Amino acid sequence: MDFFGNILTGFQITFQPVNLLYCFIGCFIGTLIGVLPGIGPTGAVSILLPVTFKISPVASIILLAGIYYGAMYGGSTTSILVNVPGEAASVVTCLDGYQMARQGRAGPALGIAAFGSFLAGTFSVIALMFLSYPLSRFALAFGPPEYTALIILGMTILTYLAQKSMIKALMMAAFGFLLAYVGIDMLTGRTRFTYGLSGLVDGIGILPIAMGLFGVAEVLENMDASGQISIFKTKLGNFYPTRQDWKDSWKPITRGSIIGFFIGIIPGGNATLASFVSYATEKRCSRHPERFGHGAIEGVAGPESSNNAAFAGGMVPLFALGIPTSVACALLFAALLIHGVQPGPFLIPEHPEIFWGLVASMYLGNVMLLVINLPLIGMWVQVLRVPQRILLPLILFFCIVGAYAANNSFFDVVVMMFFGVLGYLMRRFDYEPAPMVLAFVLGPMFENSMRQSLKLSGGNFVIFVSRPVSLTLLVLAALVLVSYFVFKKQREVLDEKETKI
Amino acid sequence: MKRVGTEAIGSLFWLAVGLFFAVGGFLLKLGTLRNPGPGFLPLMMASLLIAFSLFLLVRGLVEPGKVLKGVQWKPQSVLVVSVLIYGVLLGFMGFLLSTFVLMFVLFALFFEGKRRMPRALFYAATTAVIGWLVFSVALKVPFPRGALMSMLR
Repeated sequence: MDFFGNILTGFQITFQPVNLLYCFIGCFIGTLIGVLPGIGPTGAVSILLPVTFKISPVASIILLAGIYYGAMYGGSTTSILVNVPGEAASVVTCLDGYQMARQGRAGPALGIAAFGSFLAGTFSVIALMFLSYPLSRFALAFGPPEYTALIILGMTILTYLAQKSMIKALMMAAFGFLLAYVGIDMLTGRTRFTYGLSGLVDGIGILPIAMGLFGVAEVLENMDASGQISIFKTKLGNFYPTRQDWKDSWKPITRGSIIGFFIGIIPGGNATLASFVSYATEKRCSRHPERFGHGAIEGVAGPESSNNAAFAGGMVPLFALGIPTSVACALLFAALLIHGVQPGPFLIPEHPEIFWGLVASMYLGNVMLLVINLPLIGMWVQVLRVPQRILLPLILFFCIVGAYAANNSFFDVVVMMFFGVLGYLMRRFDYEPAPMVLAFVLGPMFENSMRQSLKLSGGNFVIFVSRPVSLTLLVLAALVLVSYFVFKKQREVLDEKETKI
Repeated sequence: MKRVGTEAIGSLFWLAVGLFFAVGGFLLKLGTLRNPGPGFLPLMMASLLIAFSLFLLVRGLVEPGKVLKGVQWKPQSVLVVSVLIYGVLLGFMGFLLSTFVLMFVLFALFFEGKRRMPRALFYAATTAVIGWLVFSVALKVPFPRGALMSMLR
């Protein structure tokens, strides 16, 4: 394994002026999106995906990834200064970050969030580099039965980790799979569920679905809560945390990085979950848990580190196995497909420039983000002053143009609006969109591998349990399911505790 | 009469979706286990959806739980309908004009207070012109020319 050669190639790719520019644009937009409440990185990525059709796959992935980890940085700013999370992964940062701001320590809070993110980002990129390659070697031996089992395990864990109800999450997963089957059946060439609508023959696009669920639905939801945002007026002072701050924070940052990275690898383990787990861990580890919620710097350092690490963690299964584990990864997966790159164990050997270019760009992006965020903080505070009533119509406008531009047809806009309304109602009725999006993206792969397995075995389901790897994966999935029903009571108690923090 | 909770209403919707796909999958060729056809997995997934929504329906009827309230349907419906009308206008008036109309409706919907209309006009005009310059002129997104525009020409 020629690590240094590879990483050197990666940096050569990243340092090409064009890619450098896209990395910067990605980080910049990401920070902007992170700072603005009302739209999250997923909505932004799906709006911007059509723009990347014309640029190279490497540049496009660098740009889109930049938006995601950039948003993790930007989200903390809003949480700390306004007590409103800029995006979901910064919810817990509000608890102690805002309190720190009220005590006149907004500067160090922003500083530790940025430095913690930087350290965690760097750590997790290194871990990503060392873990993906061997895992993809291992996955090369996977056949259709293994992939079927892997997707079943992935979806089981994903629904297990769902915040609301596992049954609803399973329903959403089934619905996502069903949506994936609209269009031409790849094995027989028959059209399915199109009902004469020509726009449906190629299947429903991931972009109108994602824009609807994460863009339009968010606008509709924000119409209910016409809350006024009040920015906490404070002198930001300097960003450098004191010696004592560092002493308090280095352990949370380390733990947060590790927790975040491994949670990111697990299906359904997104940045939001990582930040919650990190916060709970810090509170438990602390000798003064009573300080949490009253401006403890550990409560900012840990979660902000872990949400950054989680994004890089999610890259491991995406690049090694071709399995996205979060909505963020699902959109990168879709972006790769749009550019004609098949995600899977062959991606790294066949397109080393994409993987290593992305890894190198993430090192660099983390440095850029420090520069974008800390010295320019004044500008981001100004951005926060843009009222929602101007922002929301504009977000909707961008969604419409984005959906239209993807295929130059208004049909996609109608599809987007449909999923916007559906997504809004789903939020109201406590259904989560994540399992649906992931099932939708994995749907074709799942169907092909399952049907191929059954063909291989002559219609015998034993093929899934007679091969050691797929047997192991299925047993794990069964264990997860069983543990859900066994530990259901405890989970509920735990949930109550979590909501109280 | 007992009030129907959100759980039951939601599960009825998903039950309908499940039935829809189940019938559709059944009508497609199911194939055999030896060679599964195009309807095989849709039927499987639809059955899962039906089973779970039936479970939720029963549970929702037994204990209704929370009841939906405090939802303003009006502004949301206006928003959705105006976007759909925008699709019709786009073919008729072209991008610049129809965007102006849409954005005016949207801003007027969101703004409050005394100078609501003039401000909405201002923001709508700005958005339409900048949007046209960026997307149509610079990025060359091929929006329909619009029948009206062609007539004027």
